[in-house]
Amino acid sequence: MKILSPEKIVESFKICLGSDFIDSSIYQREVAVKKNLFTSIWIRVKREAFKKSVEHICKLQEYPHLSVISSSDLGDSVALIYHFTIYYGHHLKALSVGLGVTLPKNDLKIPTITDLIPGAIFTERETQEMIGVEIVDIPDNRRLFLPEDFPEGVYPWRKDEKGPHGMLRVLPGREGIKNE
Amino acid sequence: MGLNSFKRALWVYHLNTGSCNGCDIEILAALTPRYDLERLGIVLVGSPRHADVLLVTGPVTRQMAPRLKRIYEQTPDPKVVIAIGSCGIEGGVFYESYNLVGPIDQIIPVDVYVPGCPPRPEAIIEAVVKAWVKLEKAAGQKVA
Amino acid sequence: MSETQTKTSYTIPIGPVHPAVHEAIRLDVSVEGEEIVDVDVVVGQVHRGIEWLGMNRNNPVQSIYLAERVCGICSTSHPFSFVQAVERATGIEVPERAEYIRVIIAEMERIHSHLLWAGVAAHEIGFDSVFYLAWRVREEIMDLMEYITGNRNSKAMFQIGGVRRDVTEEQLPRIRKSLEYYKSVFNQLKTVFLEDITVRMRTRNVGILKTEDALKFTAAGPTARASGVPKDVRQDEAYGAYADLDIKAITPDMLTGTVVGDVYDRIIVRLLEVKQSVEIIERCLAQMPPGDILTEPKIAKLLATLKKADGEGVGRHEAPRGECFHYVRLQGGEETLATWKIRAPTYANLVSMPTILIGGQIADVPIAFASIDPCISCTNRAIVVDTKTKRKSVLTDTELHKLSVEKTRRLQAKLDN
Repeated sequence: MKILSPEKIVESFKICLGSDFIDSSIYQREVAVKKNLFTSIWIRVKREAFKKSVEHICKLQEYPHLSVISSSDLGDSVALIYHFTIYYGHHLKALSVGLGVTLPKNDLKIPTITDLIPGAIFTERETQEMIGVEIVDIPDNRRLFLPEDFPEGVYPWRKDEKGPHGMLRVLPGREGIKNE
Repeated sequence: MGLNSFKRALWVYHLNTGSCNGCDIEILAALTPRYDLERLGIVLVGSPRHADVLLVTGPVTRQMAPRLKRIYEQTPDPKVVIAIGSCGIEGGVFYESYNLVGPIDQIIPVDVYVPGCPPRPEAIIEAVVKAWVKLEKAAGQKVA
Repeated sequence: MSETQTKTSYTIPIGPVHPAVHEAIRLDVSVEGEEIVDVDVVVGQVHRGIEWLGMNRNNPVQSIYLAERVCGICSTSHPFSFVQAVERATGIEVPERAEYIRVIIAEMERIHSHLLWAGVAAHEIGFDSVFYLAWRVREEIMDLMEYITGNRNSKAMFQIGGVRRDVTEEQLPRIRKSLEYYKSVFNQLKTVFLEDITVRMRTRNVGILKTEDALKFTAAGPTARASGVPKDVRQDEAYGAYADLDIKAITPDMLTGTVVGDVYDRIIVRLLEVKQSVEIIERCLAQMPPGDILTEPKIAKLLATLKKADGEGVGRHEAPRGECFHYVRLQGGEETLATWKIRAPTYANLVSMPTILIGGQIADVPIAFASIDPCISCTNRAIVVDTKTKRKSVLTDTELHKLSVEKTRRLQAKLDN
């Protein structure tokens, strides 16, 4: 396995995905006295090329380390970012790769990656219950953190009408959190 | 103080209703040789049916509320409940979360409150002694 | 889970980290006779909606204190990752001296956490006196933390752009005295944990996680390193003062020459890490540069900068249990964080729990489960389900603990004969 520079990695994505590649950015920062570099790469792709991008990361590094899937409610779409780490185990050479996909709210579906990375099952289950994205072909459909009697259709991280506004516990004598 | 009703050790049952574990570690640290609760005759037991004192930590999450009620009912009288940490008193820093169901005294009656995040082991020892005195009074009244 | 037939489901509530902590975790173990055939992990007891609070109620500075209370044991790791994520999202600089102080606090926390774990592991095997010994030794580092920061847990040292309190010249002799104490007591700990025959019999070849499984299930921290995967964020990524210090990930072959991936290897990794942490603190004290500790001391100005800022960042730290990860996105004009995602280390290790437990015996469940050092308030709880035999019975965690202790006594009796 060769260790490529961040620019070469972005190039390889462009070549592999063609027109499905949206944009990318590389963030670098000097750290402490010796001024070593911290690097993180952000790549955004279209939903159709998502599975192909994950397979491409698996080619760059066998068994990439998936940290978590983060999700944001952007109004009429939901942005998911899959946070990977590649080149771990090598001194000061690990790279954070954030693979971003935007899904429109009327079609919140994305394929599972547990066939490539079995350890992704927890974070996929959490994404399903917390923001309401349907993960197609997920091997285990149950809720992860929320209790079983939590109402259906209420997604805690949404900022629209499906958020948990009615379920907040307001102490007597206080006003609740105001929602615009 | 006149501790003459409880000639045996005070048995304590500890329950975590969703806390961050900070208070739980300070409870366990109170049992270790440095603070040594056991020299006062206080022992942690594994079942609420043997307990005299309930040590409850944590803001009560939805999943834990029925369990908290059940454990309170399983503990035989006379008993004392100690709520440890700010989470148990008013929800702590999590007070407006969507997964919490009232602080502990909305679900079971509480006798002693120990503020702090987390409270020091010395504060916990003082709380247990206060609870002991309260138990003594309750037992004394029942006997008399 | 389908519960249509009656099965022997042993519902085993097992305390996560502490022997006496009940009810933050439940294991339903599926067994066939004595051997475990199926495991299921269910979490949810400690869900307090922290990320939601950070996105809807708190400003970023308040969220630091919220992040501290994700877990009381690793209460330095979460703020460390969080402030790094915010600094990378907004471009706020950190003075060099602050980076070194952050590392000193983080390494002190690692010592305290590993000693806590060592005591719990000893208790699960049945050596209560070792539990008390380990926690007594731990009190030294708790005193040191109180001396430097003012509190034993929840130390509130981190601020966006630096640290809040300094380590001054007058404090150095006291710190060095504590470090000498740990160096002197380390050999005793090593003898008690690594060279005792009963400990070896209870932990060798128990709870094995093969290297390939550790990679597939994205394990992190000592769990992964004990299986031979040299993943350590301090070694791999440039952050804090670790970038200047050339840390090497510790794997069990440094002591024994081979990697098995069982509970004994995890004990080796954690004990050697305590030694490594003491050395790291000493090097930091020797190399610490002078200067400021905070880029922006006035909180009102800091909040104004954060309100205007726009960007996203990730922050990672090697917590005692593994990689702690925070992702933060800020949007200009909003006072709260726009997006906040926390990934605590136990989250990654719990997925490999079934693989570790299957094939073992019930009496080994406490020690095998405790060996990944689960911090359940970071995650939640677990359930293991049994399917083979057709009877229903319930084992409480005291009964499970009793089974584990009885196995130890049996093995010890065999040794004496």
